[in-house]
Amino acid sequence: MAKHYILFPNYSQGLKLEVLLKQNNIKYVISPTPRKLSTSCGISIMYNKKDEEVIKDIIDKNSVEIKGLFTIE
Amino acid sequence: MGDYKKMWQDLNMDIEKHDILCEALPEQFGDIYLTQENRPEAMNYFNYVVAEIHGARIMELEKYKKEGGKVVGTFCVFVPDEVILATKAIGVGLCSGSQFWIEDGEKILPRNICPLVKAFTGAKIGLTCPYFQSCDMIVGETTCDAKKKAWEIMDEYIPVHVMELPQMKREKNIKQWEDEIRIFINRMEELTGNKVTIESLKKGIDICNGKRKALKRMYDLRKNTPSPISGLDALLVSQVAFSDDPERFIEKTEELCDELEERVKELKPNGKKRIMVTGTPMALPNWKLHSIVEGLNAEIVVEETCTGTRYFENEVSTEGDTIDELVRNMAERYMDINCACFTPNEGRVEDIIKYVDEYNVDGVIYYNLSFCHTYAIEYEKIAKALKEEDIPLLKIETDYSEEDTGQIKTRVEAFLEMI
Repeated sequence: MAKHYILFPNYSQGLKLEVLLKQNNIKYVISPTPRKLSTSCGISIMYNKKDEEVIKDIIDKNSVEIKGLFTIE
Repeated sequence: MGDYKKMWQDLNMDIEKHDILCEALPEQFGDIYLTQENRPEAMNYFNYVVAEIHGARIMELEKYKKEGGKVVGTFCVFVPDEVILATKAIGVGLCSGSQFWIEDGEKILPRNICPLVKAFTGAKIGLTCPYFQSCDMIVGETTCDAKKKAWEIMDEYIPVHVMELPQMKREKNIKQWEDEIRIFINRMEELTGNKVTIESLKKGIDICNGKRKALKRMYDLRKNTPSPISGLDALLVSQVAFSDDPERFIEKTEELCDELEERVKELKPNGKKRIMVTGTPMALPNWKLHSIVEGLNAEIVVEETCTGTRYFENEVSTEGDTIDELVRNMAERYMDINCACFTPNEGRVEDIIKYVDEYNVDGVIYYNLSFCHTYAIEYEKIAKALKEEDIPLLKIETDYSEEDTGQIKTRVEAFLEMI
């Protein structure tokens, strides 16, 4: 099953988005960043595909810095 | 995230070798933890700590050190964190739960000693643990012969302070431990340049008691049938208790417990066998036994280990107007821990029987890290006492390797069928 991740340039941006997701009642899971997506360790956020557009919107409106949204099959 | 590399370089780490460790963690954690269904949302904080274990937390330590603060590493529930906090230092429990470090450990230690000791030694000499590299000092103790002798080797790499833990529980032994705590206070004062005062020690005791209360609250919630949290998740909480900032840990664990309290109201019995694990500690990232047991039709509801009840049961009293009185209170609390290093150690038998009842346990798994003699020998007494009470018991002796995973799974499966 495909899994969806958001990667960040540093952990504080990840935690910033976490707070916003919580406020908006969007389900997410904090996860170690899969090796396939990045060689540097640290957090990423796993999300459900159905929430993707809402999440993108939150990221834009609140100027959260991200490295991108990724999917692993 | 890329800037950790620079930090690790500055910490004189073996970047290439450390990278192999970093490669394994996301997959291992993903397979064991993130595949669990219906996890509490508050576990996200604990996921964060693991994901950033060699990143954000190390950055915090480095920042603290730049401001003149000190960091000390510890390995045992007997090291009084109260004193570390009272001298404004940061104490971190060091990782020693991975097969990854064994190879380096065996370069200078005999193979036939416990994996935990080989792992922490390997983590230091292989330069693959940023916590070790961040520490100004390591605090050892004499809870077992392997550790006792490993400190001498470790001292060649990093300053080590060893506390001599008495091995009996007579009044004179409690007094000896008081004396060791006083010596430790002096050493910490020298290291940090900060004097321990009545106020700072009381504050340290309050913080440590806060951690104990939070863990106790989580364990009390596990007494519910079914438990509102998996044994795997509860183990992770206990492991994180050793490494993260204590005040943040308390806040996040209380949040988790609030959520678990809500869950308890909705949960219906699930027919899973309720298992107690007793024995030797499971240092990060040792999740081996829990993942095997909970992969079957069972849930682990209590650990009578150093990464379990021994860490949080009983609080240190803050009654007293002198440092000596507080030191006495600490000595009494710590000497009440029923580690197998003591002789005799009847208290542990009583604890186990008591927990079987309190946690409504169906069966007990005696977990023994290979070559941990005191626990291996104590098995006989525990087995006899449990037999008298008609409580099923299974002994698993193992290390961190994956070689015996299939065999352990078969044995646990048979055990669950039997009970």
